[in-house]
Amino acid sequence: MDLQFTPQHEKFRSEVRGWIDANLERRWTEELRDPANGENELVEVRRSWQAKLNEAGYLGMDWPEEWGGRGATVVEKAIFLEESLRADSPPIPNFLGIGLLGPALIHHGTEDQRRRFIPKMLSGEEIWCQGFSEPAAGSDLASLRCRAEPDGEDWRITGQKVWTTFGPWADWIFVLARTDMDDRHGGISFFLVPLDQEGCDVRPLLQISGESEFGEVFFDGALAKGEHLVGKIGEGWRIAMTVLSYERGASALTDPARNDVFLADLVEGLRENGTLHLPDVREKLARLFVQNEVIRANGYRTLATLASGSAPGPESSIEKLLWSEYAQKQSETALELLGPRAHLRLRSPLARTEMDWAREFLWDRAGTIYSGSSEIQRNIISKRVLNLPTS
Amino acid sequence: MQFNLDEDRALLKQSTRELLESESPLTDARAIMEDSSEGYDKALYANLAELGYMGLAVPEEEGGSGVGAIGLVAVLEELGRAAFPGPFLDMAMAAEVLRGVKEPEGAEWLRRLVAGEALVLIANSESLSGDEPIEPNTHFEDGRVTGSKHFVPFGAQADAMLVSTDAGLVVVPKPDAGWNADLLEALDHAQRLASIDFDASCTQLTDSGTAATLLESAHQLGALGAAALMLGLMERTLEMTLSYTMERQAFGAPIATFQVLQHRQADMFIHTESTRAAVYRAAWAADHDPDSASRLIAVAKAAAGDAGRWVAGQSIQLHGGVGYTWEYDPHIYLKRIKTLEQFYGTTRSQLEKVLQAARI
Repeated sequence: MDLQFTPQHEKFRSEVRGWIDANLERRWTEELRDPANGENELVEVRRSWQAKLNEAGYLGMDWPEEWGGRGATVVEKAIFLEESLRADSPPIPNFLGIGLLGPALIHHGTEDQRRRFIPKMLSGEEIWCQGFSEPAAGSDLASLRCRAEPDGEDWRITGQKVWTTFGPWADWIFVLARTDMDDRHGGISFFLVPLDQEGCDVRPLLQISGESEFGEVFFDGALAKGEHLVGKIGEGWRIAMTVLSYERGASALTDPARNDVFLADLVEGLRENGTLHLPDVREKLARLFVQNEVIRANGYRTLATLASGSAPGPESSIEKLLWSEYAQKQSETALELLGPRAHLRLRSPLARTEMDWAREFLWDRAGTIYSGSSEIQRNIISKRVLNLPTS
Repeated sequence: MQFNLDEDRALLKQSTRELLESESPLTDARAIMEDSSEGYDKALYANLAELGYMGLAVPEEEGGSGVGAIGLVAVLEELGRAAFPGPFLDMAMAAEVLRGVKEPEGAEWLRRLVAGEALVLIANSESLSGDEPIEPNTHFEDGRVTGSKHFVPFGAQADAMLVSTDAGLVVVPKPDAGWNADLLEALDHAQRLASIDFDASCTQLTDSGTAATLLESAHQLGALGAAALMLGLMERTLEMTLSYTMERQAFGAPIATFQVLQHRQADMFIHTESTRAAVYRAAWAADHDPDSASRLIAVAKAAAGDAGRWVAGQSIQLHGGVGYTWEYDPHIYLKRIKTLEQFYGTTRSQLEKVLQAARI
């Protein structure tokens, strides 16, 4: 066992920390509570932060140098993400492009596709959203009906995508569409589609938090160029599944780091309220600290697995369940322990100014649904780890 | 970054598993827990001592095996799996105390403990309500100790007791008279908890300040060890439940095909695996990162207790009616886990430690 970071890792960490200190003008929570910042302005704050990160070479760090990366190890990437969260820096807007599509193009795309899309993806000039889920295909993604029909060399996409994160600000969408109506998995292909065209209609969806971070996308014969098919016809499902697995792992330490920020605020709020000494408050608070350390311990294990060159197995479902369910517990506890003031939205009179716990409480409901619901994660563990039989 | 055990410790863990599978299968272990007067297999303990198991965390230069907290935890995980009866962890805690004793008497008792010649245990608890303030009422004067200690696992079997007193630690070899042990009837009979009244001659080992430090260090080892035992107990509990639900038929199918049972067992797996991460991280800290060891051990103990209790309860639930019978094994695991959760540092005290470590 060795859970220590090497001197090189520590050096890298202090570089990152120094760079963030020098470049981050305002913490993300400060941007969020600035009355001048509407949703569109906040996206611009995120976009300009992404541009800075890109110039400094902190995006796609683990990609080959040729594609803007620095061939960083997964541990370095995890350190960078951990430091970003610790500093409460803005989340980049193109996280779906860089997190999912970038690796997909590097592994499965053509040279032309990489050259055309990766630089603007990294710079934030082109924001990407993901067109996987449909109204009748959420957890059961392979039942998707959106179809792609050949039109000469090109393709015409018809159907509907929904819960499309960042859809309202995206320029492009990567779409899973059916090229064969009968072959459940083998009939799905992976297309890159520009949203600014006839035949594409993006409508924001109002979320329970009052924001519209996601939307729905209607395709009515939208054009996907022939050269924008990723992989071969019928490989969409396989590509999508491998792409989703790239996301796991490097973020192993980011959730605990984010929770540290939240927990520090919770402690601060309890001090203000004068309730930090109460035994029931302390017990609930301590259980959050314990669980967050359990998540961090799991993160170290995942990171060690990745660092040794192995892919994280279905055990990464554990991680998804742990962080998403913990987050709900954390914000529920905060709303309970901090009292009525914690229910006030950031810009309300009387609100605490540091943290919008009411927003977190609502937002945390999403974590157990997106990116494979908790129920799907438990299916994965029962079937692929515990090998429980299907009836 | 490496989470796996190194080769030596992995080998130690594997050979411990094989040894226990052949020398202490659950039917034998149950017979010892339920029927024997000692509550443990003395011959097997002697055998383990010969193999170096009684001084696992004691450095080699002090006569131990020197495999550190990580090695000890790996072994305890296996002992937990086997629901291995006896005062194994309690002896490791006593060894931890003896290591810090400067008097030559300490080294001699440590040697005897490690060699398996003497069952040496700590008698510290006086309160009936859980964690102690370490200000014992037990009195030491003129080479005699008087007072009562409670909840000493296997206390009636000890050859010597390390007793905390108002003047520091004393060692009390088992006298013919002046030491009366009452066996307590507890939730987990297998732990053979005893209350002991002392009015006996003894030898002082340390002053009060040193005693507090050594006991704290032993309790820390005990908390880590208990968490490791719970990890092993949880693992085996899950395995038993998986095989039972795959065999048991209802509504024309193995009950493991029902999604509600699948998800429940997925949750048992998550609890077990996340406990594993926390326990080994704490063990690593105990060996390599003293600044955070105390906090991470408290995390592991509290987490293992909460997770273990739930997993053991679900095991009984998923076994259904037979899970409530004495004949089936899940209750062995439930009782041991519940006991380990409460003793070796209550959850409440571990939670408070976690907050205090964060200056809260």
